[in-house]
Amino acid sequence: MNQFIYGLILFIVLALPPVSNLLESIMIVHMHMQMPLLVVAGFFMGHYFQLRFPEFFQRWNENGIPGILLFTIIMIYWMIPRTMDEALTMQSVQLFKFISLPFFAGVPLRDSWPKLSLRGKNILITGFTLMFIGMGLLYVLSPEQLCNNYLLVEQITLGWGFITMAICMVIYLAYKTFINEADYE
Amino acid sequence: METTLKQSWRDNAYRALGISPEDAKLSKTYLLVSFTTLLIGGLLGLLQGLNRAGLLELPTWLNYYQVLTAHGILLILVFTSFFTIGYFYAVHSHTLGGLLPKVRKLAWIGFNLKIVGLVLAVIPILMNEASVMFTFYPPLAAHPVFYFGLVFFVIGIWMCAFGSFIQVANWRKENKGQHVPILSYFATGVFVLLFFSSIFVAIEVFMIIPWALGWVETINVMLARTLFWAFGHTLVNIWYLSAVSAWYVVVPKVIGGRRFSDTLTRVVIILLVVLNIPGGFHHQIIDPGIHESVKFLHVFMSLAIGFPSLMTAYAMFAVFEKTARKKGGRGIFRWFSKLPWGDVRFLAPMVAMIAFIPGGAGGIAQSTNQLNQVAHNTLWVVGHFHLTLGTSVALTFFGISYWLVPYLSKRVLTPAINKLGIYQTIFWSAGMVFMAGAMHWVGLLGSPRRTSYTTYFDNATALSWDPYLMFLAVGGTLLTIGILIQVYAVIHLMFFAPKGETEFPIADVEDIATPTPYWTERWGMIIVIMLLVIGMGYVIPVVDMIINAPPGSPPFRPW
Repeated sequence: MNQFIYGLILFIVLALPPVSNLLESIMIVHMHMQMPLLVVAGFFMGHYFQLRFPEFFQRWNENGIPGILLFTIIMIYWMIPRTMDEALTMQSVQLFKFISLPFFAGVPLRDSWPKLSLRGKNILITGFTLMFIGMGLLYVLSPEQLCNNYLLVEQITLGWGFITMAICMVIYLAYKTFINEADYE
Repeated sequence: METTLKQSWRDNAYRALGISPEDAKLSKTYLLVSFTTLLIGGLLGLLQGLNRAGLLELPTWLNYYQVLTAHGILLILVFTSFFTIGYFYAVHSHTLGGLLPKVRKLAWIGFNLKIVGLVLAVIPILMNEASVMFTFYPPLAAHPVFYFGLVFFVIGIWMCAFGSFIQVANWRKENKGQHVPILSYFATGVFVLLFFSSIFVAIEVFMIIPWALGWVETINVMLARTLFWAFGHTLVNIWYLSAVSAWYVVVPKVIGGRRFSDTLTRVVIILLVVLNIPGGFHHQIIDPGIHESVKFLHVFMSLAIGFPSLMTAYAMFAVFEKTARKKGGRGIFRWFSKLPWGDVRFLAPMVAMIAFIPGGAGGIAQSTNQLNQVAHNTLWVVGHFHLTLGTSVALTFFGISYWLVPYLSKRVLTPAINKLGIYQTIFWSAGMVFMAGAMHWVGLLGSPRRTSYTTYFDNATALSWDPYLMFLAVGGTLLTIGILIQVYAVIHLMFFAPKGETEFPIADVEDIATPTPYWTERWGMIIVIMLLVIGMGYVIPVVDMIINAPPGSPPFRPW
C-alpha cells in the first residue's frame, strides 16, 4: 500500500499545472523526465492493482508478453514528435498522456518485468537501444523543426539525450554479455 | 559483513605476515613523492601568503602567478593523487591478499607516466610559459608541453585505475558471493570516479592542444570550462571519499570501537559516485552562457551531494558517542573526554572532521546562486578549499600516514613521533584558523583571489584588507611549520623509526549488524546509473554550448 501512495503522490505532483508546465517547457525534460516519471508513478501504483486484481493479471498477462507489448506500444507512441505537440495543444491528448503512461505503461511494466525471462528482458532492452539510436539520429540530423512547440536546438538536445541513453544501454548490454556474473556471485 | 567473511588462506597469510616487500616499496614510493610535493608546494604557498600580505616582493624570475600555478598543480594534483594511489594500493595489498604481479606492474607504469607528466608540466611553469593556474582553462594558454604533461599524468592515473579494477575483479572471482572488503570498496569508488571524471579533462586537453599549437585559431571557452569542472569537482570528492574511508573504517578501530553500518557506508560511497560528476556546475554559477534553469537544476544536484555527507556526520558521531559511553563516558558532552585525544591517529582525522562542519556549510552557501555572486571570485573561495581540502582531507591524510608509513616500512610509531604529530596537528589547525578564517572574511569584504599584492593605488577599500591579509601570512607561516614537522615525521617513520610490526587498523562491524544486501556489489549497474545521471546533467547545457557557440577565443597570455 505504501508503494501505491508514493506512486499516487508522484502522479499528483506531476499533474500539478506549475510542475507540468515547467517540465513541458523544455523538450528533453518533457520526453525524458516527465514521461518516464509518469511511468515510474504507474510502476509504483501497479503493486496495489496486482494485489487487488490478481486474477485479471493472471488471465491477461500470464507470461508477461501482452503487458510488455502494451508498454512498448505506449512508449513508441509517445516518442513520435507529433504526439508531444498534440499533448501541448489539445487537452484531450494531454489527458491521454497522463492516463496512458502510468496505467497502460507503468502498471503493465510492473506486472510483466518479473515474468520475463532474462533473454526476454535483454531483447526488450536491445529493441529500445536500437529505437533510441534511430530516434536520436532522427532528432539530431533532421534539418526541419519536428515540433511546432519546440525550437530546433531543443530538438537536437533531445536527440543527443536519446543517443546518450542508448550508449548507457549498450554499456549495460555489453556488461551483461561479456561479464559472467556466475564468476563473481 | 566483513567479520563473517570466509577469508582464503592467502588473505590470512598476508594479514599475518604483513605487507610483501614489493607492495610496500610501491606504496612507499608513492607516499614519498606525495610528501615531497607537499614540502615544495607548501613552501611555494608560504611565498604566496607573504606576498599577499605585502611582506615579500617576489623576484621577476619567479612571479606570483608562476608560484600560484605550481602550488596548485603540486598540491591539488600531485600530492593528493599520489597519496590516494599509494594508500589504496596498500589497502588492496592488505585486504585482498597481496597485489597481483600484473597489477603492481600497472601501478609502476602509472607511476612512471605520472612522473614524466609532472616533469613535462613543471618545466614550462618554471620557464614562466605556463602561468595558467591549476585550472588551466582557456582562454589562458600555456606552452603546449604543459598540456602534453597533463596527458601523461592522466594516462598514468588510468593505469592505476585499471590495476585496481583488475585486483578487485580477481578477488571477487576467488571469493564468490562475498562482499569486497570495505576499504577496497572505497578504493573501487575512488578509481571509478577518477577514471570517468578524467575522461572529461582528457577531452578538454585534446581540445586545447591543437589550439595551443596554433593549428586551430579559436576554442570554445565555455565548453572547456565545463569539461574542466566535470573533472575538477569530482577530483575534490575523490580526495574527500579517500579521507572518508579512513573516517568510517580506521578511526573507529583507533578509538576501540566498531564501524557504524556496513550498508550505510556502502550506500554513501554509491551515492557519492553516482551523484558527483554533474555537481561540477556549481563552480560555474556566475559563468555566462548557461541558462538559469540549468543552474537551478544543478544547485539541486550539488545539494544532493551534501546528503551523503550528512549521513557520514551522523554515523561518525554515533560511533564516537557509542564507543565513549562504553568506556564510561557520561553526560551530553562529557563523553568526548573519553576519546583518545592524545593519539595522533585519532586527533588529526577528528580535527579534519570538525573542520568539515564549517567547510561543508560554506560549500552549501557557495552553491546558492545569490551567495555565490558575492563570494565567487574572492578569497572566500580560496579559504573554503583550504578548509575542505587543506584541512579535512590533508589532515586525514596526515593522520593516516602515522600508521600507514610504519606499517609499510615495518617500523613502529614511537611516543615521541606521536607527540610530534599532536604538535603538527595543533600547528596545522591554528594555521588554518588564521589563514582560512582570514581568507573567508576578507573575501566577503571583496578581496579578489588569484591576484598578487596590490593596494589599487592606495584605494581605501583595498587598504582595509591589509590587516586580514596579515593574518593570512601568519597562518601560512604556521602551516609551513606544520608541513616541515609532517614531512620530518614521514621520513622518520619510513627510514629511521625502530623496527617492529604496526597494525593496519580496520574496525569490525557490530556483532548485531544486519547483512549488507548484495546489490551493492553490482558495480556494472552502479556505473550505468552514474552515466545516466551524467547524461541528465550534461546533455542540455553541452549541446547548447556547442550549437549556440560564440565565435570562440584565440589564446591569451597576459603574463
